[in-house]
Amino acid sequence: MKNFRHPAAAIAGAAVVALLAVGCGGGDSEAASEDNPLELTVTTFGTFGYDDLYAEYEEANPGIDIKANNIDRGANAQTDLFTKLAAGSGVSDVVALEEGWLGAVMDVSDQFVDLKEYGADDIQDRWVDWKFKQGTDANGRVIGYGTDIGPQGLCYNGKLFEAAGMPSDREAVAELFGGDNATWDTYFELGKQYHEKTGEAWYDQSGFVWNSMVNQMKEGYYTADGDLNIEGNDAMKEQFMQLAAGTEAGLSANETKWDWGTGKAFTDGSFATFVCPGWMLGTIQEQLESAGGGADSGWDFADVFPGGASNWGGAFLAVPETSEHKEEAAKLAAWLTAPEQQVKQSAAANNFPSTIDAQKQLAEDATPNPMFNNAPTGAILASRAEGVVAQFKGPDDSVIQEKVFGVALTQLDSGKVDGEGAWNEAVQLLNELVVKD
Amino acid sequence: MTVTIKPPAPAAPPQKIKPTFRQRLNVWDVKASPYLYISPFFILFALVGLFPLVYTFYVSLYDWHLLKGQGDFIGLGNFTEVLADRFFWNSLFNTMSIFLLSAIPQLAGALVIAAVLDQNIRGKTFWRMSVLIPYVVTPVAVALIFTYMFNEQHGLFNSVLSNFGIDPIMWRTETFPSHVAVASMVNWRWTGYNALILLAAMQAVPRDIYESAAIDGAGAVRRFFSITLPSIRPTMIFVVITSTIGGLQIFTEPRLFDPTYAGGPERQFQTTVLYLWEMAFQRQDFGAASAIAWLLFLIIILFGVLNLALSRRIASSDGKRQRRRPAAEGKQK
Repeated sequence: MKNFRHPAAAIAGAAVVALLAVGCGGGDSEAASEDNPLELTVTTFGTFGYDDLYAEYEEANPGIDIKANNIDRGANAQTDLFTKLAAGSGVSDVVALEEGWLGAVMDVSDQFVDLKEYGADDIQDRWVDWKFKQGTDANGRVIGYGTDIGPQGLCYNGKLFEAAGMPSDREAVAELFGGDNATWDTYFELGKQYHEKTGEAWYDQSGFVWNSMVNQMKEGYYTADGDLNIEGNDAMKEQFMQLAAGTEAGLSANETKWDWGTGKAFTDGSFATFVCPGWMLGTIQEQLESAGGGADSGWDFADVFPGGASNWGGAFLAVPETSEHKEEAAKLAAWLTAPEQQVKQSAAANNFPSTIDAQKQLAEDATPNPMFNNAPTGAILASRAEGVVAQFKGPDDSVIQEKVFGVALTQLDSGKVDGEGAWNEAVQLLNELVVKD
Repeated sequence: MTVTIKPPAPAAPPQKIKPTFRQRLNVWDVKASPYLYISPFFILFALVGLFPLVYTFYVSLYDWHLLKGQGDFIGLGNFTEVLADRFFWNSLFNTMSIFLLSAIPQLAGALVIAAVLDQNIRGKTFWRMSVLIPYVVTPVAVALIFTYMFNEQHGLFNSVLSNFGIDPIMWRTETFPSHVAVASMVNWRWTGYNALILLAAMQAVPRDIYESAAIDGAGAVRRFFSITLPSIRPTMIFVVITSTIGGLQIFTEPRLFDPTYAGGPERQFQTTVLYLWEMAFQRQDFGAASAIAWLLFLIIILFGVLNLALSRRIASSDGKRQRRRPAAEGKQK
């Protein structure tokens, strides 16, 4: 009866990780110096681009030793953070939060330091207004400094476009999709034409397109008052059916998201377009590299997005109450999110900054991005960020995105259900997973 | 225990006397010491086994949020909720399916490997070490490598299949293939381990029985089924019990087979432990997760009792035939 061998290994492993995390820290609250060295732990996720900045900060602040940890994706970072919050220890001194699960974090915002105690008021003007407000809880405590935002542009594969007899030039593509008046109708119409000519898919899978659509709405899965806003939301269902019609017409490549055959799907012409919030450019670059592809893969970035401005994702840096070096941690978080550093972060990770000065800088520099056919991605994103408004994210937003619509759309992609069936599945899952709890 | 506090008692006349302190100490030593010697196990068990068990039950009676903590007392509400949950039953079905797909081929494979290793072959130690190597590799690495190979669009297995003109198998989207994929990871890891345990039992079977059987004209196959198998039955039971308990708690392999969801987008290969984990750490419902943990505990007890009944019967049938019990049996614990 005592041979619990399979999970025992997993639990032991997790325990070791937890113990290591707990083991860090110690020391006192005095400012760090060469005589009083201290260690700050930082946890980020995805492609964050902080590695060089850590080194720079350590150089400028003798006595500070940064122990960084990067988790592969936001959803796993969420599980990691929530597990450690529940355990009451192990959260890093500085931890990155994703916009999608900020709603759940806000439920327990008292577990994070009010950054106002460490000078948040003085630097408030750095950020675009809505980003700073997102990081503030209902009681006016500031728990997160914004790092990046996720204005969306359209990634497309110029080579595949050309092969299908479509324009491949960035400006012409933007015009093809409708420029400032780009609509999802045009997007799916072009997709059908492309599919007829080539027999290939238009987008990798339906989930990301749906995330973009929802993030574009004035109110998403929740109303601004915090009520669920899905069942009986005719506008949302109509949009869902539009996506479903496209997928049923063969426009989805039914790829596994966050995997894409370890990136191969980006190099073998499986699909021709991709919805791209700023941070996604870094993801694509990583996928291309892991599949052995490079600038010659043909990916490009156009200053256009179906349905107008959309913001998907973006992160914040927070300091947990359990940190033993709150002051130093808050100082590091403020430094990392300052405009100057955000510009460097953007250069490393291709994401788009949330501070006004950094955004201006990127727009002015218009640095060509070799991975995307030398498109000035920063400047394009700055243009895409115009008109972006924050959407209220409820406590179960990420659960709904991943476990409700994510699941229903996977079934749609694999052809198990039609559009109506997928919507019904989503509503049923919503009632089972979110409403019931 | 021989602390001399008083001088030895003087020789007294043979009449009723009070036992001296030392004598009482002796009696106490004989009676209580054995319990003290085995107490560390029970103290540890109470701390890390019994207490969590009881506390989990306590949590399961409440509305308990991962981050917000203890809520209202709801009695057996979590249990009724879990029992009415289609995903719970789905996870039980998956667990049983993966368990059967892994346990049966695993035991059959382990038997064959052990029987081959039991022969007089060159480089015995080399072969024995070789079958244990998969067990040394961490399950995480195994799961990652197998996940690459089972990838639907770009994986090794489907590429090989397509070379033979066979349609790709949807290893991750379809239920049965996904169970085969997860079970193959489990098998890869545990077959060699079980083979070594069975080998130890086989080595303890007296060689003269084989010789007489061979003289009587029994072939190798006949000898295996008529001598080897009956002789290692108690060890087989042990292997069956441990792989049952392990099989009911499969977590790492299905967890890593799909890092995005907990056991496949439609829970095609979500085992009960994985569902428990999802409930606790992704859906943040600690109360329901504790209820699942307890239900799983009860199911494992049920299997344990079944196994016990089975092994009792086999042990008694062993006694009737007066066969020498294999000496290796004691070593496996």
